[in-house]
Amino acid sequence: MGERLRTANRRELGGYLFIFPAFLVMLMLVIYPLIYGGYISLFNTNLMARWNLVGLKYYLRILTDSVFWSKIRITISFTFWTVLGHFILGMVLALMLNVKIPGRAVFRAILLTPWLFPEVVVALVWKWLYNPMYGLINHFLVQLHVIAAPISWLGSPSAALPAVIIAAIWKGYPLIMVMLLAGLQAIPQELYEAAQIDGASPIQAFRYITLPGLRYVLVVSLILDTVWWFKHFTIIWVLTQGGPVDATNVISIDIYKTAFEYFRFGEAASMAVIVFFICFLFGYGYRRMLGDEGN
Amino acid sequence: MRGTKRDWKPLIYVGLTLSSLIVIIPILWMFSTSIKTLEETFSIPPRWIPLSPTLDNYINIWKNYPLARYFFNSIFVVSVSTIISLAFSCLAGYGVSRFRFAGKGAFLTFLLATQMFPSIMLLIPYFKLMRTFGLINTYTGLILVYISFTIPFCSWMMLGYFEGIPKELDDAALIDGCNRLRTFLSIILPLTLPGLVATAIYSFLVGWNEYMFALVLTTTTEMKTVAVGIGELIGQYRIAWNDMMTVSILASIPLAIVFLFLQKYLINSLTAGAVKQ
Amino acid sequence: MKKHKVMTISLFVIFLILTALNFQSYAASITLRVLSTTIVEKPEGNVERQIAEEFMQKNPDIKIEFIGVPMNNVYAKITTLATGGDMPDIFTNVPQFVAQAADLGIVEDLDELLGPDFIKGFYPNAIREASLNGKLQFIPWFSTPLALLYRGDWFKAEGLAAPQTWDDFVAVAKKLTKDVNNDGKVDRWGFAMLGARNDSAMSRYNCILKTFGAYELRRDTSGNWVTDVDSPKGINALRFFTDLYLKDHVVPPGPTEVSYAEALELMALEKTGMMITGPHSIGGILARNPKLAGKIYSVPVPKKEKHVSFLGVYGFSISKTSKHKDAAVKYLKYLISKENLLEWNRVTGRMPCRIDAGKEPQISGPVYAGFVKAMDYAEAVPNVAFYPEIIDIEGEAVQAVLTGQATPEQAAKKAGEKIRAAIRRAQ
Repeated sequence: MGERLRTANRRELGGYLFIFPAFLVMLMLVIYPLIYGGYISLFNTNLMARWNLVGLKYYLRILTDSVFWSKIRITISFTFWTVLGHFILGMVLALMLNVKIPGRAVFRAILLTPWLFPEVVVALVWKWLYNPMYGLINHFLVQLHVIAAPISWLGSPSAALPAVIIAAIWKGYPLIMVMLLAGLQAIPQELYEAAQIDGASPIQAFRYITLPGLRYVLVVSLILDTVWWFKHFTIIWVLTQGGPVDATNVISIDIYKTAFEYFRFGEAASMAVIVFFICFLFGYGYRRMLGDEGN
Repeated sequence: MRGTKRDWKPLIYVGLTLSSLIVIIPILWMFSTSIKTLEETFSIPPRWIPLSPTLDNYINIWKNYPLARYFFNSIFVVSVSTIISLAFSCLAGYGVSRFRFAGKGAFLTFLLATQMFPSIMLLIPYFKLMRTFGLINTYTGLILVYISFTIPFCSWMMLGYFEGIPKELDDAALIDGCNRLRTFLSIILPLTLPGLVATAIYSFLVGWNEYMFALVLTTTTEMKTVAVGIGELIGQYRIAWNDMMTVSILASIPLAIVFLFLQKYLINSLTAGAVKQ
Repeated sequence: MKKHKVMTISLFVIFLILTALNFQSYAASITLRVLSTTIVEKPEGNVERQIAEEFMQKNPDIKIEFIGVPMNNVYAKITTLATGGDMPDIFTNVPQFVAQAADLGIVEDLDELLGPDFIKGFYPNAIREASLNGKLQFIPWFSTPLALLYRGDWFKAEGLAAPQTWDDFVAVAKKLTKDVNNDGKVDRWGFAMLGARNDSAMSRYNCILKTFGAYELRRDTSGNWVTDVDSPKGINALRFFTDLYLKDHVVPPGPTEVSYAEALELMALEKTGMMITGPHSIGGILARNPKLAGKIYSVPVPKKEKHVSFLGVYGFSISKTSKHKDAAVKYLKYLISKENLLEWNRVTGRMPCRIDAGKEPQISGPVYAGFVKAMDYAEAVPNVAFYPEIIDIEGEAVQAVLTGQATPEQAAKKAGEKIRAAIRRAQ
């Protein structure tokens, strides 16, 4: 009994030593900003001369505001399609790139390229591609007689959100692809060979070997990809600034405008705190739904 | 088995070629813009190959902007932050995977939670923090920010890869007389090479393309990064399209080369062989 | 062993580089830090940097250190620096930001620093734009008064005269809109409309709104803020503006995507014949399409009830926390000396705010005639802290009509309610 306890204690100490550097960095750098963000959400403040305590006023106002919830709805729909696109594309491409074929190094490099460019550059390029006057996409579609005349994709209330989502998928899938590709390496080849002998179809092999083998990578990247794109700002801001009217007005645009255009930092911070909790719920939901190997 | 695999191959080629073509269109367009003159940049209809292609942009940007300095800053800051972030994340991932201790779940949740606050609202407190420590306009400041950005995802990912390696390997090594750190460094870590490379790429790219914090935490030209340099080409009165595309293409070349070298580690059967035993 | 040596040496080299960087700034006794958005633009930045170099040669004890920030991120940067207690000595300021900056408490009152005699040397309406409650907030450097740019050669070919009223304008725009290459599709339009939901687009729309006699924000006789956007005049203006696209079809497709950069492109690509903008745009258009030299003319923005223009003043404030205010004044006075303003105008096309420079033939000559005239019609931007919200509300209304989601009446009504709510909240 005593012997076992001592081992357990030693093991515990070891664990703390291993996580210590990462924990320290995060504690030092992130805790203060997070608390600061929560703190200012209780004030009507421009962070300089004006500090009026308003308590939970902003939270109450925001949570009862139908405009806020319609923005959350747009944000969720943007996030859902973007993340879905990332995972479908990322998975299909990772599976194809995992097969030993000549020239796959080149394919791998090409398919990674969207990841290499800053978001703002990517957004500007897509804005250009979508342009009704001198954009490539309209030019193609008109030449192929898919459409009769150029369409203002980003200016149309129904097409703007899908157009923004396509750009976001293009930018974000390589991350998922690379993570899944690395995850596939950890699945022992023998499992597939055994399945083959048992007469399993490739689809069955995918369902019963590949997916479970990737489960952990899938859960973690799903949580973080969802959270990142839920908060995403740059691509939408550059492409549409939330327009036309409110078609692509995701919540991060509101936060940005409220903070750095209207200088109402308290209100922006309370929106940010609400976003934090929504994201937290997502993370919790995913972990419950998909099982959690982490702890 | 062999037969079916061969049957798939043409299909895979078609799939990969098609997706590569679609994916690369915007990038080819960027390249095409980078070899255009200002007058030819926008044309109706859009023109893939300019009438008078020029490499002037590629020469002039070195004269017009302190680009070499920006590249040095970016490479230095991002390399160091990637190395530190990976080191810390691997330790954390291994620690969580191999030890049982109180607060493990809370630690993991904490890491995730740091990713959930809209980062634009963290700009000001980060700045205050850095100023308190006198880290504005320093490499250290940027490095700290970037490792704090990347540690959560890297730790979680590395934890996953460590979980994929049987614990019996550790036990065997411990019995052979290795201590924990030794076991971790020389036996377990090499087996996670594909995951290590994947997270390294992630960590590197986050820092390389980060704009807002680099803009705010640096004030002098000497300290600016490539992403900030690119951001400056997007002005109030005009967007320097040709210059911006040229710099972006140039900035992606080192990354592409590094990736070409690294990617063989991304795909290897090291794990499979070792896990078999 | 060897590895160790390499490591030590490389660490040492890095250390040396870092120290060298740190020591650079101790060369002069006073370092003025100047946060500027023009310094990152080309060719503007080159002139500004050159002026600073000359200044440093003449004043070896003062060193100018620029903090370049793109205009898109300047407010985020200024706020961060201000809240972090690290404001530079001099920073960019514009009328749209004056109220916010004053609210942050970062601006030094310039009246005393400059003295009334010096201030008299500015155009009075530039001083009005740069002031808040009668106190000068920033030193006006240049202005970009709004006028109507038009393709003189096309007008000549069609036998048209420059429009004076909006009725003339529509007639002219319809004549310019045509199928030039005879493929059955319109490929040239009368007007480059800016319909994006941002400041650059909405400041132009507000100019039109005011020519109809309606104000997005004005003080009534008892000094309270009111809006006219949902008054009959305001609705008329909104209908007129959106009809240009919806009914008159004199605007190219996708106006909600068009911000300043895109509109400039439309002019340079010879797709549109007219644009409301400032004098600096001519240079931008010619850089892309040199064939247009001498073909672009300007007149004041057409009127319904009256002509209106915006000055678009841009300048520099001195920080309240600056330790070198006298040196800062010295530099800014040098920046706006006659020779430097004329050089600035020659390269960038922007108009000086100093009367002595404005009298020079370079400015009063034919090239800038339309803009000089427009300056007489200039109206001030209401400098209240919530003005950016008003701009956003108007942008939403304009886009709602342009995309067919609302009639002008509906959109105007909604915008009126929102603006009044914003006014209430600010009090």
